[in-house]
Amino acid sequence: MDDSSARKFQKDLNGGLVALVLLSVLDQAKGELYGYEIAKQLQRAAQGEPLFKEGTIYPVLRSLSAGGLLSSRVEPSFSGPPRKYYRITAPGRAVLGEWRAIWAQTRNFVDRFTSEGKST
Amino acid sequence: MNRAAPRSIDAYLKQLREELTGADPALVQDALYDAEEYLRAEIAAHPGKSEADVLELIASTYGAPDEVAAAYRETEAKVAAALRTPKPKAGGGALRRFFAVYSDPRAYASLFFMFLALAVGIFHFVFAVVGVSMSLGLAVLIIGIPFFLAFIGLTRVIALADGRLVEAISGERMPRRPLHPGPKQSFWARIGEMLRDARTWTTIAYFVLSLPLGIAYFTIAVTGLALGLSLTFAPLFEIARRFGWLHVSGGIAVDYSPAWLGSAFLLPIAIVLGVVIVTTLMHCARFIGRAHARFAKHMLVMGS
Repeated sequence: MDDSSARKFQKDLNGGLVALVLLSVLDQAKGELYGYEIAKQLQRAAQGEPLFKEGTIYPVLRSLSAGGLLSSRVEPSFSGPPRKYYRITAPGRAVLGEWRAIWAQTRNFVDRFTSEGKST
Repeated sequence: MNRAAPRSIDAYLKQLREELTGADPALVQDALYDAEEYLRAEIAAHPGKSEADVLELIASTYGAPDEVAAAYRETEAKVAAALRTPKPKAGGGALRRFFAVYSDPRAYASLFFMFLALAVGIFHFVFAVVGVSMSLGLAVLIIGIPFFLAFIGLTRVIALADGRLVEAISGERMPRRPLHPGPKQSFWARIGEMLRDARTWTTIAYFVLSLPLGIAYFTIAVTGLALGLSLTFAPLFEIARRFGWLHVSGGIAVDYSPAWLGSAFLLPIAIVLGVVIVTTLMHCARFIGRAHARFAKHMLVMGS
């Protein structure tokens, strides 16, 4: 198994998962977070090889925000360009609830076939 | 992509811009801003390391410019497909297509924009004229330079806000971040850059032009609505009054009663004419919304 096919598989998997993870992170956060904080939080959680590049979360944040699942606010910062802070909205929470259910269902289903040495 | 890994923020942003060649200019502006926000935060988080050292690790954390560019292109394509309002069905004859405009939210938004355009136009015009004339007047004094810089800075912020308004009304993709200031340069080089940047001048021209345009939009909207609605509803009121369903009691003096209100033959024609005028106005509003968005994008985004 060469590295590129593993990467491609990971990328295909990530399609909707990045959005699910981002919504969850913002749901668990007490207040609002900006892109870099979210990226670092994910990096810490990954402990080693991250599942996706941090650069790919920004466009997803934008698209979630454009879809009304997140609200955003721009604030000037001293260390560079203005920071964009994101916060989950009520529709975002509703969608997250649905997505969690779908994810749990999908995981159970996939596990049933892929977990070795376990009979069903 | 086998290129030298970028060793500085400016080099990274330059490569990212090249990777995004051909993409929507508004998207490029967003991507550059996100990348810069991340890179500067990353450098601030590692005070002991040099910029080059931090950038070396960027490809494995944030992603190389080509990976990041691909992520923006893909997400944009998906979002554009998901957010596009379904086109009203074209079938059903010309009459149905003519009235289908009432089910298009863009038409209402554009009509609202035509009213708003006058106020926005006055604000833009006054801002641009006062800013330019005071910049010129103060140019001989020492405070002329900071004044000019503040004026151009505010111009960009207002242009961004106007872009958001235009996107909300027409759906035309506009930048979500202010114009990227480009590589760090000396104070004078930056002023020179601002003066040479075609976008500075097209933005000011847009502000000045938005007053006459705003007057035209406002006039069309008010005239069309007043004429169309009164032609539609005046005959209905007249009929209701004649049959005694509606009693106009004292207090409301209706002096305006043209001869056609008394004619049974002209009343239905007036109603039809009124409906046609209002519907045409809706089409007109939708067209103006789109045309204005394209104009705004050309002046505010494409200029440079």
